[in-house]
Amino acid sequence: MPTLTAPLALIIFGAGAVAGALGVALGLGGGIFLVPFLTLALGFPLKSAAAISLSTVIATSSAVTARRTGNQLINLRLGMVLEVATTAGSLLGGITAQFVAETTLQRLFGVVAIAVAFVMFGRINRRNVIADPAADIGRLGGRFYEEESGGMVAYRIKRLPLALFASFIAGNVSSLLGIGGGIIKVPVLNAWCGMPLRAAAATSALMIGVTATAGAVIYYGHGDLRPLLAAPAVLGVQAGSWAGMRFAQQASVKWLKILMAALLVVVAALMFVRSLR
Amino acid sequence: MNNLELMIGKVLRSGTIASSTLFAVGLLMTLAGYRSELARLLLEAGLIILIATPAARVVISVIEYIRERDWLFVILTLIVLLALGGSVLAAYL
Repeated sequence: MPTLTAPLALIIFGAGAVAGALGVALGLGGGIFLVPFLTLALGFPLKSAAAISLSTVIATSSAVTARRTGNQLINLRLGMVLEVATTAGSLLGGITAQFVAETTLQRLFGVVAIAVAFVMFGRINRRNVIADPAADIGRLGGRFYEEESGGMVAYRIKRLPLALFASFIAGNVSSLLGIGGGIIKVPVLNAWCGMPLRAAAATSALMIGVTATAGAVIYYGHGDLRPLLAAPAVLGVQAGSWAGMRFAQQASVKWLKILMAALLVVVAALMFVRSLR
Repeated sequence: MNNLELMIGKVLRSGTIASSTLFAVGLLMTLAGYRSELARLLLEAGLIILIATPAARVVISVIEYIRERDWLFVILTLIVLLALGGSVLAAYL
């Protein structure tokens, strides 16, 4: 366990800031990058890296959602439904960890990330929004004000079982990989389930907090989550989510999709590198 | 519905501000060389509040759905709450 010095605190703060900014822009908690950064670059043991990462994910979720409430982007009902699958997944996470080798999981993750990146690239100009705000949105759809269209837009949720499955998997690998699962949920919700990217990101930001809490509690109980190391990461999240808010509102959806697809490619590469170690 | 969203916002905002403040003070004390029991307690409290905040958000949701008599969502949010309780048990067993 590394001891905390001022430079190390600053580095962790910076990593937290990146996580916070990604959380605002794309609904990601940043765990997918934070764990490899802490283990590969700073030499943290995997357990403490995953624990710090999960607390960063929780901070991102709370900070981003607190800044967002009131503008109707968060789909609370869908979020609550998907959280059931996510928490069920994380409760069964220990079982998966016993039967699937970590390297297998990382390679599988890498392959899926590449595939999803291609789908995202292919759909860059496709929009899920329905310009008619009076359209029937079904039980789980939503409406929000969209800058691009300059008015209220609506969307319907398609393929709910797929969204549930993705949420289950996200929860399932959450504590093992130290992630909140936004990197799984956001692309799936956007590419296949009819959700506009901004709404998917806002709803994911809400959900990842609960996903990560289930894992963080276990690391905390086992003494692997040190507050002194989590503190700079969490403070970095505050700074990053504050700074990212303006950028996220001004960036076009197309640009955000390109960013998401590019991040997926980076994630795939990281997963392959980790699986080789 | 909107009501719930605003309440969730308040809970998350309070939790975030409280844990960040405790973390900031505890971290600065430690880095400045005051590795005291007080600094340790502040950091520990910050972490507990951080982890409890999403759980508190689920509790608020259960209560609000009960008030709205939206029983399907009462059940869904209760399942999430029970699962979180399950992980607390798993952590200390």
